[in-house]
Amino acid sequence: MPDLPRIDRNELAGRDGREGRPAWVAVDGIVYDVTDLFLWEGGRHWAMHDAGCDLSGDISRAPHGADLLRERGRVVGRLSEP
Amino acid sequence: MAKVAREVVERAGVDVDQLVELLVKNASAELTTFYYYTILRVNLIGLDGEGIKEIAETARIEDRNHFEALVPRIYELGGELPAGMKEFHDISACPPASLPADPTDVKGMLTVLVEAERCAVRGYTQICHMTAGKDHRTYDLALAILNEEIEHESWFSEFLGEGPSGHFLRRGETSPFVGKFMK
Repeated sequence: MPDLPRIDRNELAGRDGREGRPAWVAVDGIVYDVTDLFLWEGGRHWAMHDAGCDLSGDISRAPHGADLLRERGRVVGRLSEP
Repeated sequence: MAKVAREVVERAGVDVDQLVELLVKNASAELTTFYYYTILRVNLIGLDGEGIKEIAETARIEDRNHFEALVPRIYELGGELPAGMKEFHDISACPPASLPADPTDVKGMLTVLVEAERCAVRGYTQICHMTAGKDHRTYDLALAILNEEIEHESWFSEFLGEGPSGHFLRRGETSPFVGKFMK
């Protein structure tokens, strides 16, 4: 996925899906827009994951992979480090 | 609430409030799916639909059974169901299994059915991960439900041409796995 916009962690944190804001999550350096997904309504997923966060550490314990985010969400950028 | 039953789960390291929230959201998914599957089932008619009606009905009844089996565990752990049905519907762990715009679209209905089951399979797998070795009773319940949800997924998947389910349709009583929680 070349030429993706760089998104820093502050910008990501602002997309927390609350009060009408967009819901973005990062996994393995890629940032996904999940605003329109039923399972991310209100910026919360499954009572345990919040939008605006880097979920790279959580995805390996989830019952699905990042492929589902690619399939149902929208790639919006690449997370810049740190 | 079963005070000690909750305490032992907390002491094992489970976030019980989070677990209860998940159980309530899944109870909502089961009861709302029971409702939406009712509409799907009555629309499964004609040469294409009739063959699917029986498994849709079995899945519908078993999803209702899952709701019935989840409720006692929610209250044992100190949780409760929302007072209002509308609120309960809206906190579902899975999207509504709505009838497609074209009610004669049997493949569309099958896709709705299989997606609903896949959401449930992911959900109960997550609950099993959270509770394995820590909350034996919830794990046992979630595993029993998971067994049935996997069978439902495979039945609908088979009709979509994704490969054999390996099963024949349910014989005898419904809920062979969850039935023990409903005695």
